[in-house]
Amino acid sequence: MSPVLIFAGNDYLTQIVTRILVYGILVLSVEMSWGQTGIFTFGQAALFGVGGYATGLIATKANITDIFILIGLALIIGIAIGMLISLFLFSGRRVGELYVALVTLALSYICERLANSWTFLGSGNGVPGIPYPSIFGHSLGSNIQVFYLVLVIFILLMLLCFYIVNSQFGLTMNAVRDDEERAEFFGYKRPRVQIFTFILCAALASIAGCLFAVSEGLVSPSMSGLALSTTTVLWVVLGGRGTLFGPLIAMAVLQIFNTEMQNVLPSLWPILIGIMLLLTMVFLPKGLSSIPNIIKSKREVKTL
Amino acid sequence: MSVKRNLLEVKNVTKKFGSLIAVNNASLHISENEILGLLGPNGSGKSTMLHAICGRNLPTSGEITLFDQEITMKNPTARAAAGMAIKFQLARIYLDKTVRENILISLQAKESFFKQIRSATLKKHEEKIRELATEFQLIDYLHLPAKQLSHGQQQWLEISMAVAVNPVLLLLDEPTAGMSPAERKETAVLIKKASQHAGILIVEHDLDFIKELCDRISVMHYGEIVASGTPQEIESNPKVREVYLTRV
Ligand SMILES: Nc1ncnc2c1ncn2[C@@H]1O[C@H](COP(=O)(O)OP(=O)(O)OP(=O)(O)O)[C@@H](O)[C@H]1O
Ligand SMILES: [Mg+2]
Repeated sequence: MSPVLIFAGNDYLTQIVTRILVYGILVLSVEMSWGQTGIFTFGQAALFGVGGYATGLIATKANITDIFILIGLALIIGIAIGMLISLFLFSGRRVGELYVALVTLALSYICERLANSWTFLGSGNGVPGIPYPSIFGHSLGSNIQVFYLVLVIFILLMLLCFYIVNSQFGLTMNAVRDDEERAEFFGYKRPRVQIFTFILCAALASIAGCLFAVSEGLVSPSMSGLALSTTTVLWVVLGGRGTLFGPLIAMAVLQIFNTEMQNVLPSLWPILIGIMLLLTMVFLPKGLSSIPNIIKSKREVKTL
Repeated sequence: MSVKRNLLEVKNVTKKFGSLIAVNNASLHISENEILGLLGPNGSGKSTMLHAICGRNLPTSGEITLFDQEITMKNPTARAAAGMAIKFQLARIYLDKTVRENILISLQAKESFFKQIRSATLKKHEEKIRELATEFQLIDYLHLPAKQLSHGQQQWLEISMAVAVNPVLLLLDEPTAGMSPAERKETAVLIKKASQHAGILIVEHDLDFIKELCDRISVMHYGEIVASGTPQEIESNPKVREVYLTRV
């Protein structure tokens, strides 16, 4: 069935689904870096914000709406920042997972503060009034058209990640994740694997940020903040590290609940999310998607 | 004696952990195609010596050269690039990965990312994986996660991962720990075969096992090398009898 029929006349639903796809690219970037390579990043929202603000500012101040130019510019800035951070983090001796988490967390904090206080970035209001994007001079005039654009890009990036994870390089990423020192003894250039992956994920996050800007028409400081960074990690924790689809499903389910729950339990909902994060990390370190396997192995034990 | 190139030269290496001197002014050397046994009681510093050679721990003082190149302070990646491969005392393999993936991890380690992303060398490696797995009797377990292997099989897997890359220097820390006598015999054959294109350092407790296999043996005691020589010389060395053999 065509999405047009599903969404027929329902702009609100279109926007929710579009946002899920945009966050889908974002969660993919966390899964590729943390889930696949063991880079415990709390900074994906910062790069998401960088992509979003770059797009918002260029679109509103320079009147550029061509989506390829917008994505290209967001990519350049995202990759440059990703390169700086990853060179700093990974080019020397091995650093611990917590160190990486702290530095990237700080990055998110700095980005949110900057966005909040710098008038060029619109301070607390962010950048409103971002126009619909255009493709080859043809302007996309409605949410449903933007949805299609986002859907196509999401599918392409999803396929790209799927291809990489299932390639020999995917095994390299996992070798570094599971025992980075051991990987070095085999001759892996561990810093390069981490830097390459981090930059790839910075690129994904900044594309997601760009698509967020053009689909929502607004970027605000919270899109690069601590709350979103933590939430992206929650999606991966819930969905299960090391799988591409688990985190996507977890994110989609949470997003659907999110809107409802924020209305029903405005103050309790974030706390509930925090408790969920804690419980999964303690009792299901491999995420909700590992439940079928756990049940299976329990059954096997019984039949033995 | 035939002239063989000196492969590894460890000169006056000392390694301290705080006030503990784990390796004390120890020297050893290995020529091409030579198998050197490193013997010694528990805690005598054998593994620490191996770690200094492979770059896991940097020595406090001393010098290590490989093919006349100094590598004392080089990182593990550089040493692997120079042709070093290692089997750790406690098998350090990827437990969640299959046997096949483990060997592939070793085989592709030095290849460029762009080759890896295109899976360009997969076909070539697939053949080598089957060959190695057959040799190390792992062929029936290729698609089993390594954690499901027996202890002995895990050791074999790690040895196979080390020899997979045709290293010039092979470091084996207790390669037969926990193996049955029959398995030890087979391991000895495989190690002998690997020595055709590599110098090998074997750390072992069992003199009977290494005297068959090794060209020379060095004995460590409290961090010092107390004796070096052919297996016959070592067996009849009174000092060695005193510090080591009587304790077994
Ligand atoms: N990372 C470390 N930190 C502190 N002390 C260490 C460390 N590694 C080894 N040691 C100590 O150094 C000494 C030598 O240890 P090593 O592991 O080299 O002995 P070994 O000869 O390999 O013994 P085994 O036969 O039991 O394997 C021991 O006293 C050990 O406790
Ligand atoms: Mg030891």
